[in-house]
Order: sequence, then C-alpha cells, then structure tokens
Amino acid sequence: MAEKLLVVKDLKKRYDDFEAVKGISFEVERGEIFGILGPNGAGKTTTLEMIETIKSIDGGSIMLDGLDVTKETQKVKYIIGVQPQSPAFMDKVKLTEQLEQLASAYGERVNAKKLLKEVGLEDKGGDYVESLSGGQKQRFSIVASLVHNPKVFFMDEPTTGLDPQARRNLWDLISDIKKKGVTVVMTTHYMEEAELLCDRVAIMDNGEIIALDTPKNLVKQLLDKGFKPTRKVEQANLEDVFIDLTGKDLRD
Amino acid sequence: MNWKRNLLPVITFAKIAIRRTFRDRLALFFVFLFPLIFLFIFGGIFGKNSAASFSVAVINQSHSTFSKQFVGQLGSNKIFKIDDASNTMAKANEKMNRGQLDAAIVLPPGFGDIQGKYPSGRAQVYYSQNNATAGQSLASVLDGVFKGINATLTQTPAPFSVTATQTNDKGLTAFDYTFSGLLGFSIIGLGIFGPVNVFPELKKQGILRRLHTTPLRVWQYFLANMVSQSAVGLCSIAIMFAVAIAVFHLKVSGNIFELIVYIVLGIITIFGIGLAIGGWAANERQAAPLSNIVTFPMIFLSGTFFPRFLMPEWLQKVSAFLPLTPVIDGIRLIATEGKNLTDLGPQLGLMGAWIVIIYFTAFRVFRWE
Repeated sequence: MAEKLLVVKDLKKRYDDFEAVKGISFEVERGEIFGILGPNGAGKTTTLEMIETIKSIDGGSIMLDGLDVTKETQKVKYIIGVQPQSPAFMDKVKLTEQLEQLASAYGERVNAKKLLKEVGLEDKGGDYVESLSGGQKQRFSIVASLVHNPKVFFMDEPTTGLDPQARRNLWDLISDIKKKGVTVVMTTHYMEEAELLCDRVAIMDNGEIIALDTPKNLVKQLLDKGFKPTRKVEQANLEDVFIDLTGKDLRD
Repeated sequence: MNWKRNLLPVITFAKIAIRRTFRDRLALFFVFLFPLIFLFIFGGIFGKNSAASFSVAVINQSHSTFSKQFVGQLGSNKIFKIDDASNTMAKANEKMNRGQLDAAIVLPPGFGDIQGKYPSGRAQVYYSQNNATAGQSLASVLDGVFKGINATLTQTPAPFSVTATQTNDKGLTAFDYTFSGLLGFSIIGLGIFGPVNVFPELKKQGILRRLHTTPLRVWQYFLANMVSQSAVGLCSIAIMFAVAIAVFHLKVSGNIFELIVYIVLGIITIFGIGLAIGGWAANERQAAPLSNIVTFPMIFLSGTFFPRFLMPEWLQKVSAFLPLTPVIDGIRLIATEGKNLTDLGPQLGLMGAWIVIIYFTAFRVFRWE
C-alpha cells in the first residue's frame, strides 16, 4: 500500500491554445479532506476530472493508491467515488433503482433502503429524483456516489446553490464520510466552508497552485505579512443571524 | 463468477430502461401508438381487396329492361366500382378530370331495345386523356362482357376462349407488402430516432459522464441498451401484428419463433445506427441532421411505404444494399411467405455485414460527454 493516497506530479492539460493546468504537483494524505479553491477558470474542475479518469492527461502523472491513473484506469475506477457538479440522474427512475443501477456498474448489489436511511431519505425510495428538493438531490447524489465504498471521494462544488440549512446538513454529511475513513477531495467557492471542513487546501489560479497548507497556517501567513482586515470582524455574521432565526432544521 | 459480474450491469440497466419506457407517456406514444396510427392509415389505403378494379360512372339513358339488368350486373361485378353519385355526363366529366373516376360508361337511349330477334345496342366508354390505359382496358373488358352476352343469346359456340383460374390463395396482397414496410418504419423510429434524441440529452445532463467515472464498459452499456430496445420493440411489433391480423386480415404463415429471432436481429441492426449517431453526437444539433441524412433514404428506398419492385431496376439494385432492406424483406418472407431462416441466406448475410460495420463504427465514435 502506497503511503500517500494521491500523488500528483507536474500535471498538465491543454485545450488547443489554452493551457488549463500548468504542471501542478500536490499530495493528498489518507483520511483527510483536501480542498481545491480558486476563482472560475482556475483549472480546479479540469484537475479533478483528470484524477477522476474522465479527462486525458497531457503531461505529468497521477498515482492513486499506488495505481497509475493513465495505465490502470479500470482499477482506479473501482476505488474512486465521484459527485458531479449537477446531480445528473435520469428521470422516471426510482431512487432505489438508481442505487441498484449504479452499484451494478461496479458489479455489486446493494441494500438501497439502508443506504437511503443514512442520508435521511428512507421515505423517498419509491420517488423519482425530479421530485426531490435541491438539498435532498445533493444528499442523494452523495450516497449514489458512495454505493461501492470507494477509498476516495471527489466533490465538485457540492454546496453551490443550496440554502444555509442544506449547506450545514451537507457539511455534517461530509464530516461523517471522513469519519468512515474515506478521503475527500473537494472544490469550493466558499471560504468559510473550506475553513470549516478542509484539513488542507490548495489555492489555484490560472492553472497553477499558488498556495498549499492548512487553512490556519494560510491565515497566519497572511497576518504575519501585516495584513489588516478592511472592516472590523464581528463576533457573528448575517448567516449566523439567519440560522438563529430560521433554525438548523432542514427545509425539504 | 466473472461473467456473472460482467453481466450484472447489463441486466440491471436493461431492466430499469424497460421500466422507464413504460413510465414515460411520450415514449409510450412514440413506441406503441405512433406506429399504429400509420398502420391504420396505410392499412386503410392498401387493405382493400386488391383485385384490379375500375371506378366508373354508369349513365343509363335507356329505359329498356335489358339496360336495367345490365347495370345491375355491372354493379355486382367486382371489377367495377360504380359511383352512384355521377348519374349525368357533366358530373362524371368533372370527377374524371380530377382523376377520381377512370371512365364513364354511357348506355344511350334505346340501348337494349329488341331489334329483330335480340336486344341490341352500343355502349360508349368515355375517358379523359390522362386515363387512356384504364379507359381502353375498360373498353376491352366491356367487349368481353358483351361477347359473353352475345354468345348466350345466339347459342353459337365460340371456337376460341380463355379461362382464368387462381393459382394459389397465398398470393401477396398490397397490404402484405405495406405491413412489413410499416414494421420497418417503426423499427427506424424506435432504433434511430429514439437514441438520437436520448443520448445527447443524457450527455447534456451529465448522466453519461457520471457513468464514465464507474467501471462500466462501453460494451456493457451498449448491450444493455440493445436488450431493452429489443424487448420494447418486440412488444410494439407484437401489437402491430395483432392489430394487422384482427383488423386487416393479415395472414401470417411463418414460424413465430423464427420471426422473433429475425425481428430482434433487425432491431439490433437498425438500433446500432442510432447508437452510433447518438453516441457520437455531442449535442442535438449534431445528431439531428446526421440522423435525417441516414434515415430518409432508407425510409423511401428500402420499401417502407411502397414496395421496392415499383422502382426502376437500377434503383432496386442500389437500394437492396441499404441496412433496412434485408430487415423488411426478411420479415415479409418469414411472416407472409412462410419462408424459414435457412432460406434467408442473402438477407441474414447482408444484415450480419451491416451489424459488424455499424457496431464497429459505434464503438469507435462513442463519447461519454
């Protein structure tokens, strides 16, 4: 067993004239939540897709659990779970059927009801995905991506477009996944989310990694440079007010 | 068991796809109702007795008993279809000019009056210029009728005569040709227009992309689709057969099992085309024009709506090689002509060749997103 779960070395990707990923290197430890942050077009999704085996690699290498992603693609697919940006489920297919179908792609049978219960959707087994709310869809998407008990779970902007309650619920879910020993690699636009969830983050811009450390260290480095916030930091923010007023319970 | 593990996704995907079809009203309409609508339209046109007949107006200007009997006799003759509404020359002319009537038979005043020993007279046949063939053959048919009457009246045996006898009762009717063509049309609808619409949509929603991150192989996905399409297609075709037998008196003489095997092969052949186009196209805008270019020549040249033997010979030779042609021919040969699979070497060979070409292409050009 390789010591590091994921080793990315000098990874490159070009689209015609555009160099989307310019030779990045990083490593992900077993059992951590690793965040990739950056503005739109920074190359986050492209990087993730190359690790997920669905985009070809133009340069460099990716080793996942000791497997070369370009050479042992099929073996890699058994140990990764991928949650796409959009839920991406067929309509008019029941939730239990969706799970059975995805599990069968790994050659496995599953107890769909039990899996649904883990994400609080035990009553929805006979429903179609199109009848779920945004938060329910996102939770279902997670459980669907984990039907085969992967070693590493990739999430591309999992909380984009969710209301504060659903986001908090999803954060709890992601923490639970980590507790089960699954390594999580995620991209996000929300800094507070990264600060709260991620053990380490890589910040990408223009296809390069410009910083990589724990959120705490990154903040410390900034403050050491003599950074002063432009406005006074309050003890609470508007979102705290919102949650205080509307409660933490899920609305779906 | 490795093969069991490999087939699990095929069976699971196929099962769910079939269930999904039966839950989707739009799919149900296109798979089941749409071909039936065509069946009723074309069955209505071609399902009638196909014996050559003439649509005629009979204008009787005579008051003789003979002329009345004669008109009654024409009416009971299957060769003539008498339009009762056209009882004057003006009305008949109008309909002839529009091509709704082949000719007008006029029995002039005094027709059938006794002259000497026998009733006599001269019937007149009028036809428009663009209907000369029908008019002339009608005149000779009437001539034959009169000769028969003359012979019975004069009692002189004619030295030469012709008798027409039916050779067998299995001759193909126009409907038999139309029906296998319609099955071909519904296989096209199911096998090409279905996947060509569905796959780009699956790509747009990222559903294929999600599957791409799983170990699911392209062949497993293809096979699952082939199984579900064949199952749904067989149901649809079974309903068409049932309706054709019940309503349009289709005579099925072939072996049902062989027919099913052949239809499944036909569906697989045509579905491969849809799979190749839908699997290649990144979006609807790429899929639609290509599927039209591929489909329309087959619809018109493979014998879907009218039999190929009506085409000029060179066109028949070319259209014989289209993928849909052996499908339609083979179904007709088994279902209505009672042939066996062993008689269908050329059709099976051509279909096999197309299956290899089509699926080789489909595998090469398939894209998950």
